[in-house]
Amino acid sequence: MSHDLRFDLRTRLERFTLEVACTSQARSLGLFGPSGSGKTTIVEALAGWRAVEHGRIALSGETWLDTAAGLRLAPARRRVGYVPQDQLLFPHLDVEANLRFGCGRDDGLVQRVLEVLEIEALRARSVEALSGGERQRVALGRALCSRPRLLLLDEPFGALDKPLRRRILPYLMRVRDEFDTPLVLVSHDATEIAAACDEVLVLREGRIVERGAPAQVLAPSEAADAQESFENVLRGRVSTVTATTALVDLGGALLEAPRSALEPGVPAVLSVRADEVLVATARPTGLSARNVLRSRVETVVNGAAARVLARVGAQPVWVDLTDAAIAELGLAAGREVFLVIKTRSCRVLSSGSAR
Amino acid sequence: MIDSAVVDAVRISLLVAGVSTAIVAAPAIALGRLLARREFPGRSIVETLAALPLYCPPTAFGFLLLYALRRDGALGREALGIDLGLLLTWRGAVLASAIMSFPLVMRTARVAFEAVPERLERMAASLGASRWQVAWSVTLPLARRGLLAALLVGFSRALGEFGATVIVAGNIPGRTQTLATGIFDALQLGDDARALELAAWSVALGFGAVWTSEWLMRRSPRRRA
Repeated sequence: MSHDLRFDLRTRLERFTLEVACTSQARSLGLFGPSGSGKTTIVEALAGWRAVEHGRIALSGETWLDTAAGLRLAPARRRVGYVPQDQLLFPHLDVEANLRFGCGRDDGLVQRVLEVLEIEALRARSVEALSGGERQRVALGRALCSRPRLLLLDEPFGALDKPLRRRILPYLMRVRDEFDTPLVLVSHDATEIAAACDEVLVLREGRIVERGAPAQVLAPSEAADAQESFENVLRGRVSTVTATTALVDLGGALLEAPRSALEPGVPAVLSVRADEVLVATARPTGLSARNVLRSRVETVVNGAAARVLARVGAQPVWVDLTDAAIAELGLAAGREVFLVIKTRSCRVLSSGSAR
Repeated sequence: MIDSAVVDAVRISLLVAGVSTAIVAAPAIALGRLLARREFPGRSIVETLAALPLYCPPTAFGFLLLYALRRDGALGREALGIDLGLLLTWRGAVLASAIMSFPLVMRTARVAFEAVPERLERMAASLGASRWQVAWSVTLPLARRGLLAALLVGFSRALGEFGATVIVAGNIPGRTQTLATGIFDALQLGDDARALELAAWSVALGFGAVWTSEWLMRRSPRRRA
């Protein structure tokens, strides 16, 4: 189903004026930027929770907001599935009653959401007894159960630590793939956006400073998290599987990854940390690492964080190296190299669903 | 054997406090909700008027009521064409108690509503709930403890009402005499034993009211908000 989200908002915030305009047909649109850059304001305006001074919002031709015409559709009539940072689960209801809040008697839908998010075992639990990751899944489930026309996810995993976030990300990917609902994902985690979104808006101080496909826009400098290594997000399709591994076709190159829940033929999204990739100038042999991919250096970035950009198939792969290694190997743009990636360095982010 | 005047006083006290609380409940809770969530013109006037009985001597309100309800008063037979039959009756005591307890019930309810996170109500609305559904399935359950406390405060205030009651309803044993006015009557007559007995009943009823509300709260599921 095609859809079309348009918004054009201008409103004064405490430190700056938010001024953003966007028309997007992306099935999942990412809003990326440091905290305090206006991401939540946009999402709250889309949900109808926050008034803006000047603005227009329309989804697939239906106008939700037009300040010039004095039109503002009530939040209830927008039918958005909003998952705010604090989830706002109803504390006096159990998990199932929370899910049913927006959908009433549609047992089929509730059952499907319970299954997709794997929260069936929690259905009779009090929401106060849930862990952070469970709360996130229930909040996502409740939003889905309201049959939204647009999902708004504001840092849905923001409160979780990184390993847990990576474990929950596949649920989001599965939601994206199994429910035909466009979504807007707010995150300051480049990997999340790269894995889940088709298009990303990079925000700074209330303005869109960059826009495009995540692979192009979210280069390591953009992901600027000095403490953590950049995660390359690679997309492909599973060609064959064994009991423990899956061979993923990245469009011209095959990558062996852990099996996870992948099945032959399904799309797969993988992440590989930039500091876990080795670079060789000749094809190495007698190596335990299962992936040796022929590639070509595209860019070399020297400095505090020395990095090399190469490509696998058409997909960019950043590799963290030291200056000395770059110098000794004589890496420069155009140089043919071999990227060495262990199977276990490939993390499966997608769900392995059939679509 | 218990003195029949004591039994009457207990009966009338419970009747007056019960009916008064029942009458006050809906409007006081509704106004509490309104003041907790909405801005409207004249809001501060409404707030002040609703709080007024708390800040004036009950006898002043009793006197004003008496003045209004007497034959030639604003609410008297000559003005309305009918006799409301409130003066010197238990219904008059209900009216006096209701007016005096209204601000307490309203304020306690307002605090209870203010403690419900507004974002939860908004979330309910975003999920498609109508205004009525939001109130019924989110606001009221989350404010339940505070609302119960509000009713208890109103009931207790009505139980202890003296000044306005004694002026509007009098202090007629078996007809309008409550525990509060009965104690005063017994003291005036030098009947310490009866005063003590009535005081003991007052304490027992207060205890019962608090205990009942605690019990109600404990048996309602998932009371933590």
